[in-house]
Amino acid sequence: MRAARGIGLGAAIALLALVPWIASPTLVQFGITTLLLAALAQSWNIIGGYTGYASFGNSVFFGLGSYGTAVAMAQFDLPFGVGMALGAVLAILCALLFGFPLLRLRGHYFAIATLALALAITGIVSNLEIAGRNIGLVLPLLKGDWVFYEMALVLVVLVTAVVFWISRSRFGCALIAIREDEDAAAVMGVNTTRYKITAFALSGFFSSLAGGIHAYWITFVDPVSAFDISLNVKMIIMAIFGGPGSVFGPLIGAVILSGVSDLLSTEVSNMASLFFGAVIVLAVVFMPRGLVHVQQNFRRLRWRYFAQNVRNHRI
Amino acid sequence: MSLLLQVTANGILLGGLYALMALGLGLVWGVLNIVNLAHGAFIMLGAYAAFYLYTLLQIDPFVALPVCMLALFCLGFLLQRYVLNLIVRAPMFNTLLITFGFDVVLTYLAQIAFSADFRAVNPVYAGANFAVAGVTLPLVRVLAFGAALLLTTALWLLLARTRLGRAIRACAQNLLAARLYGVQPRTIYALTFGLGAALAGAAGDLYGVVSQFNPYIGNSLTAKSFAICVIGGLDSPVGVIIGGLFLGLLESLTALYVGPTYTDVASFGVLVLILIVRPTGLLGRTA
Amino acid sequence: MLLRHIATASTLLIMGASVAGPALGEPSITLGASVQETGPTANTGRYYRDGYEFAVQRINERGGVRVGTTPYKLALKIYDNQSEVNLSVRQYTQLLTQDKVDLLLGPFASDFALADSSVAEKYEVPMIEGGGASDQIFSRGYRYIFGTLPVASRYFESTVQALGKLDPVPKTVSLLFADDAFDVAVAKGTRERLQAAGLTILQDERYSSNTTDFTSLISQLKASAPDVVLVAGHETEALNFIRQAKSLAFSPKFYAFTVGVPTADFRRALGNDANYAFGMTSWLPSPQWKDDYFTNAEVFAADYRKKYGYDPDYHAASAVADVEAFAKAIEAAGSVDPKKVRDAIAQVDFESLYGRIQFNPAGQINLPQTVIQVDGGNVVPIYGQKGFLAKPHYPMPAWDKRP
Repeated sequence: MRAARGIGLGAAIALLALVPWIASPTLVQFGITTLLLAALAQSWNIIGGYTGYASFGNSVFFGLGSYGTAVAMAQFDLPFGVGMALGAVLAILCALLFGFPLLRLRGHYFAIATLALALAITGIVSNLEIAGRNIGLVLPLLKGDWVFYEMALVLVVLVTAVVFWISRSRFGCALIAIREDEDAAAVMGVNTTRYKITAFALSGFFSSLAGGIHAYWITFVDPVSAFDISLNVKMIIMAIFGGPGSVFGPLIGAVILSGVSDLLSTEVSNMASLFFGAVIVLAVVFMPRGLVHVQQNFRRLRWRYFAQNVRNHRI
Repeated sequence: MSLLLQVTANGILLGGLYALMALGLGLVWGVLNIVNLAHGAFIMLGAYAAFYLYTLLQIDPFVALPVCMLALFCLGFLLQRYVLNLIVRAPMFNTLLITFGFDVVLTYLAQIAFSADFRAVNPVYAGANFAVAGVTLPLVRVLAFGAALLLTTALWLLLARTRLGRAIRACAQNLLAARLYGVQPRTIYALTFGLGAALAGAAGDLYGVVSQFNPYIGNSLTAKSFAICVIGGLDSPVGVIIGGLFLGLLESLTALYVGPTYTDVASFGVLVLILIVRPTGLLGRTA
Repeated sequence: MLLRHIATASTLLIMGASVAGPALGEPSITLGASVQETGPTANTGRYYRDGYEFAVQRINERGGVRVGTTPYKLALKIYDNQSEVNLSVRQYTQLLTQDKVDLLLGPFASDFALADSSVAEKYEVPMIEGGGASDQIFSRGYRYIFGTLPVASRYFESTVQALGKLDPVPKTVSLLFADDAFDVAVAKGTRERLQAAGLTILQDERYSSNTTDFTSLISQLKASAPDVVLVAGHETEALNFIRQAKSLAFSPKFYAFTVGVPTADFRRALGNDANYAFGMTSWLPSPQWKDDYFTNAEVFAADYRKKYGYDPDYHAASAVADVEAFAKAIEAAGSVDPKKVRDAIAQVDFESLYGRIQFNPAGQINLPQTVIQVDGGNVVPIYGQKGFLAKPHYPMPAWDKRP
């Protein structure tokens, strides 16, 4: 049974890997965007879904990854791999540096703090000469979207594998314990600080890789788009819509929301944001634990599932 | 020397306007524990309300203040009563998301309705100023500062001295106990959120006289309002005034001594520092 | 779980496999563009959407574009990039790969043009843009990008020349500029010209794009009292600056802004406070600029106003020039092949309602700016290539002494 699922999964991945050669270039483009968003949603899942710390700081890691790559490639003519490594190192350092003080905050203070961090770092980078200040940097051109597609796919597989491992490991149990009741976990002997920092750094690492790929693909970075808060909100919405704290939830959320949003922004040009806003409101009210949770409970409860969610949370 | 005085005066007046902007957010956050990411959108709508009242009906923006406040009060009341009340007992993070959703929808609708053109409310006295001890004080900003003090006092009086205020505070302290005393939480919550929106509307009205605006100014104003609430502390409206003044002065002095491109770094950097060192704010008592 | 994966993958494949084919019928050439129809810069983005549309429609009315002996109609495909650079880059890629447009028209703003031109270069399809003036766009050795906005670093050239001829001659100047690609480029060039003209630069301040509060900067300016203030920024910044300058009682002898001053919006927003402000434009709706499709610039402005309900400015004229440049290039090349059209664009030289269209080797047009001043609610051309066209109101009186 297990083996069959594994083979099936492998087949699905192989199929996805072949997309650049069997589908139109627009689909490849859409694929790259969706895969990067899926990777981001999944990396947020580590700190937000499993550990319960709603981070608005993943856009910082994404931006550091973008800028690390951009500075290495545009200012120093280094190869892409070095740029990605630089971005990852910056992100991990940032996670360690700010993780210690910020992860002491609970609830919405943590969210606000990471939001403020993102805004402050945007301001700092827009004043750095080496980062091109507010104008940004232009990266060298690479013709061939398939390269980016495959890299994004590898990243998604990697981060999902890590999340899968987390869901089965002691590390993951510790994170879930922290999410459910941090004080109880501490009393039970869980070194909450160490686990939180590790989750934060892990989350940052993958976000930065996504940032690096994105920067090279778009060939352009500037502070406003690299550290974009709405990107962070998008990844949170996707993770939550799909199911935070599950392995495949964020991926599903990313594919569905990205698909519909892309469709809307080409067919009915500006309705995309209206759609997004409406989805957020409806999803938070009726299915706050995501599609995965819906799927698990729907068979049992049918439509009462949604009513129950509302009844449990309203005053 | 007089440049420093002028910049300090600028900072204080700016701080007054900022404090007014943050007042509504602080009320809703401190009392209802709802972090309203759509706060900036409410301010923006207040500005548009004042704009249309001025250009279509020639109503002076200061006279239009109660009207803007009423309009935004209704909007806030309805949003809380029929949407936000549904998730009050959910994890707090959900309110962040849902209010973000509101923000996106309101901004989009505003853009459709009002277009993306920049507007301003430009009454005849918009540029008037007077000099005090070698410092030029723009009239409108002084009036906005005055309005901020007035509304803060009114809010404080409401919370401290009236029955409604006591009901609101009771809900914040212990919802179950409040219900046992006959308080209707759905209505109280809706009234409080409406009040927060009304204050945002007042701030928007005055913002429109001081500066250009378009549907997209919301996000940066929300961010600043956050900074002010955190810096000043959420325990009392006075904290918001202190936070506003602090931020206004910080921005003005940073622009002068460090450089105009560093104001965001300063504001949000200080916010991060305060959250790390003293999350309850300059005035807040320990949680 | 697994089934879900396969289902998702298949859906995506099916979606992608159904690529819309080109429309059959009349031979047509499609121009693609991603412009700001919504978002913070939409109020200028609309000039481009309407300009492109108007030009395509008028060219078609006048018989279309001749490729050899066959007349072709022009078609337009426009996407809304919601004022987001990343989205516009993806949309340009989509225009080329899915919609299979033939040629590209540019977005508004230098930061967009900077990123989007990379797409044109990647796919080797020429893009003519009328919205990005920054020198950076044209200094990367790209061959497929052409621009109809005058070079950013030369924006204040006419103004600085005019300053030298004023009486009394101003001696000190303060330069303020926003920190985006266009304004930084303007400041760089202006700085050099000011120094060459012998003016002392008292302040050279960079401020954040979208700054709404200029009170600190204005207080600084008031304290140092320069004769001239030059501001390189966006229209809304110019508006905020002037209103706050009035409220702080700051009034130099002369102030000029890179954008905003020529537009009707500007005068309407400020009313009488707009008077005495100097600005510049590379285009005026004057009958002296004749055009093959629109008769002349004055007639164009009237027709545009009638069709769209607002007055065009140089953004709209620039957009029209882009489309006309393509039309002329295609006819000269006798083909729609991107490489041939690209070479033809590099060689065009014709008169249009926007002035003389000709690109330098880097791909940028060479148009001089005319210095203008707002006077009694009208825009008056003050100084052109040949010297003063009208007497400027100088020096500017203090706010409380204005008539």
